[in-house]
Amino acid sequence: MNQRTIIVQRDVQADQKADAAAERERLGRRGTLVINLLSSPGAGKTTLLQATARHFAGRRSMAVLVGDLETDRDAQRLAPLVPVAQLTTGGACHLELPLVQRGLKALGDPEVDFLFIENVGNLVCPASHDLGEHLRVVLISTTEGDDKPGKYPKMFRTSQAMVITKLDLLPHVPFSVDAVTEDAFRIQPELEVLTNCALDGSGIARWCEFLEQQHQQRLAMYHEPAGNR
Amino acid sequence: MHERSLVQNLLRQVEQIVVEQGGGQVAEIRVQAGDLSGVEPLLFQMAFNDMAPAVFSAECQLVLEVVPVTAVCCQCDHEFEIVDFLFRCPACQAGSVQVIQGDEVKLISVTINSNHSVEGVAS
Repeated sequence: MNQRTIIVQRDVQADQKADAAAERERLGRRGTLVINLLSSPGAGKTTLLQATARHFAGRRSMAVLVGDLETDRDAQRLAPLVPVAQLTTGGACHLELPLVQRGLKALGDPEVDFLFIENVGNLVCPASHDLGEHLRVVLISTTEGDDKPGKYPKMFRTSQAMVITKLDLLPHVPFSVDAVTEDAFRIQPELEVLTNCALDGSGIARWCEFLEQQHQQRLAMYHEPAGNR
Repeated sequence: MHERSLVQNLLRQVEQIVVEQGGGQVAEIRVQAGDLSGVEPLLFQMAFNDMAPAVFSAECQLVLEVVPVTAVCCQCDHEFEIVDFLFRCPACQAGSVQVIQGDEVKLISVTINSNHSVEGVAS
């Protein structure tokens, strides 16, 4: 019997990561910043996107791919404001790149400034899947408790920004912005922290300004140096 | 759910390697999963036990090693193990650190028997 051991040393997700990198480059080159929005269910991803769409209306273009296990309720909320495609996973707990690509195709692969991917509400599995985004943003609402970053380290480690939502409820809930920020900084000291209340609009201008900055910074690498402002 | 999709990727990669190697029976698959890979070893093993026999023989063994997260400091180049998910350089306290191991699931090696008279499990 001939037995041999082949040394491989390869990431099990190498193919998926390569596909995501190619999609990131394709969309980056044409000036689309892709944002993967993650949070637990009900943290306010769709409400934040509605406020973002109102703020950018007439000035910046955006489209949304929204992931859920079932129903097109989120897409219906966004449809009056922006081009949106609902991605239903049929029970899967996270989005993967082929689903995102199918959604983009359904929208006619629009050349927008910002493409938001509203992931399935879940702080666990979506952290392990690269969807070709340039920016990963995790939302945490004041009603969830300020101890979440340490409980879901991968999600906070792989994000570049944390948005604390439902700030208007702070007087009514035991939640400390300082405590959640400190907990998140243990895991990701370079995290950008933003706060807002999408219902009354506070913090939305700052959030959109942050997105504009990210658009400029993260897509600069795809342009000729002479083309930069 | 997540472990199953990783096992599916793993089996696909191993299948390809077997083809490249001219066929044979897979005796052992060695995998490393980091503490930041998002994988629960027991669930990964269960998913493997469930899915692998349909692709390879029932004798095919999974050896799963859990590895700690290690990082290198972007300021002082100090290499260190991440303990309790504290991502800060213990030498210079910088927060800018890059993970170099432990955030992925890695196929380390595949042991293939090239005839069908497999008697034991590869050591």
